[in-house]
Amino acid sequence: MRQEASWQPKVVAFCCNWCSYAGADLAGVMRRQYDPAVRIVRVMCSSRIDAGLILECFERGADGVMVLGCHPGDCHYISGNVKEEMRVQETWELLDLLGIGRERLVLRWISASEGELFGRTIDEFCALVRELGSGRRSDG
Amino acid sequence: MCNAGVEFPQLVRELRRRSAKGSLPVAAHHGILNRAARLTASPATAPRSAEWVTPDLEIDQSSEVLLYVGCVPYMDVALRYIRDDLLEIPRSAVRLLNAAGVRPRVLRSERCCGHDAYWAGDDELFARLARANIEAVRESGIKEIVAFCPECASAWRDLYPKVASLEGMRVRTLAEVLADAISSGKLKLKGEGTVTFHDPCRLSKGAGVVEQPRALLKAAGTLVEMPRSGPMSACCGTAGWADCDHTAKRVQIERLGEAAGTGAGTLITACPKCLIHLSCADRHHGAEMPRRVRIEDLHVWAAKALARDY
Repeated sequence: MRQEASWQPKVVAFCCNWCSYAGADLAGVMRRQYDPAVRIVRVMCSSRIDAGLILECFERGADGVMVLGCHPGDCHYISGNVKEEMRVQETWELLDLLGIGRERLVLRWISASEGELFGRTIDEFCALVRELGSGRRSDG
Repeated sequence: MCNAGVEFPQLVRELRRRSAKGSLPVAAHHGILNRAARLTASPATAPRSAEWVTPDLEIDQSSEVLLYVGCVPYMDVALRYIRDDLLEIPRSAVRLLNAAGVRPRVLRSERCCGHDAYWAGDDELFARLARANIEAVRESGIKEIVAFCPECASAWRDLYPKVASLEGMRVRTLAEVLADAISSGKLKLKGEGTVTFHDPCRLSKGAGVVEQPRALLKAAGTLVEMPRSGPMSACCGTAGWADCDHTAKRVQIERLGEAAGTGAGTLITACPKCLIHLSCADRHHGAEMPRRVRIEDLHVWAAKALARDY
C-alpha cells in the first residue's frame, strides 16, 4: 500500500441527472463540504453505466467508482436504476475476479432532496478508498 | 492465399495498429472482456483465476502440467445471459485430464493470454502479457502448458516465442492431449448420438489440429461432417470481442443451418468464443430456423461421455 503524503485517491462518481446530480447540487447550495477526491460525472440515467465503463475507470487509474441513482420507484425512466443494480452486481463479480475487489465499487440511491446524504455518502466512500490505498495499478 | 504474396493476416493487423493504436473502434459486450484483459496486464493486480475449481476436481499444485484457463471465468460473468454453463468447460477439462491420469496445476493468478491484443495490433499490451505469463510459468517449474481454448494455445505456442523463449516447455491443446490418451488406451469414452463439429479457426487453420478432436468425437458418438469443415471450416462470425454486426450474425445463422442440415443432434465446437457466438445466434434466431441443433463444447461433451467407473 502506497500512502505517501502527496497521494490523493481518485474517485469517480456517476450521478444520474434527475436525482443524485440534483442531490449534489443541493449539497452545494447547502455549502455542505465533501471529500475533494471525488470527480462527478453526470449521466442521464444510472443505467448508462455498464461494466465496461467501470472497468475503464479502473484501467485509467481510478481507485474507486460510485454509481448514484434514484431510489427504486423514483427512476425518471421508470426502471433504469433497477437495471443498473443488475449491472453493478455483474461488475462486482468481475472486480473480484480481477483482484481489484468489489469494495471499490458502490451503488447508492440518493434523491434530489438528500444533499446531506450525498455529502455523507461521498465522505464515507472516499474515506474507505483512502484506507484501501492505491498501488494496485502501478503501471498507471 | 494471395497470389502476389501479401501476408494478409499481418497486413490487417498492421492496419489495425495504425488506425486505432490498439483500441477497437467498436468493442462488443461493452468492451468488458477487452478491459479485463488489459487490467490483468498490470503487475500490481492479482486476479483470482481458480475460483471455479470444485472439490471433486483433482488439482496438483506441484504438477509439471499447467491447465491454462484464459478468459472463460470473465466470460461466465459477462455472457451468462447467453450461456450459464461456461465454467463447466474448465471443470470438464480437469475431469478429462484426471481420467487420463493427469493431475494438472492451475495458476492462482492468471493473466490474459494476449491473443486478442496481438491481433488488434496492440503489440505493447501483448508483450506485457506474454512476458508476465512466461515468467509466472518459468518460476513454478512448469514443463507443459495445456489449453482447452485454441486461441490461448495459439498465443503460447505461436506468438510468445516472438517475445521470449519458451525453451523446455511444451504447449498443446487439450484436444491433442486427449486424442493421445485415447490412442494409448488411457482414456475411455462411452456415448452415443450423432454430432457434427465446427472447427475453430485457431485450432484447424492455425494449429492444424483437425483429426484430434474428431478422434474424441468418434470415440463417443457418430460424427457427420458439415460441407465446410477441417481446414476449410467456416468462421463463427467475429473475433477479438470486436463489433458483432449483422454480417457476423448472418455468418452464424448460416453455420447453424449447415449444422442442422447434417441431421446431427448436437453441434460441437472446441473454442469458448465459437461456443458463445453460435449460442448467441441460436438464442436470438433459433426460433426462425427450420431445425435447431444443441450447441455444446467439445470438452464438456466428452467429459459427459467419460466411462462412469474411472
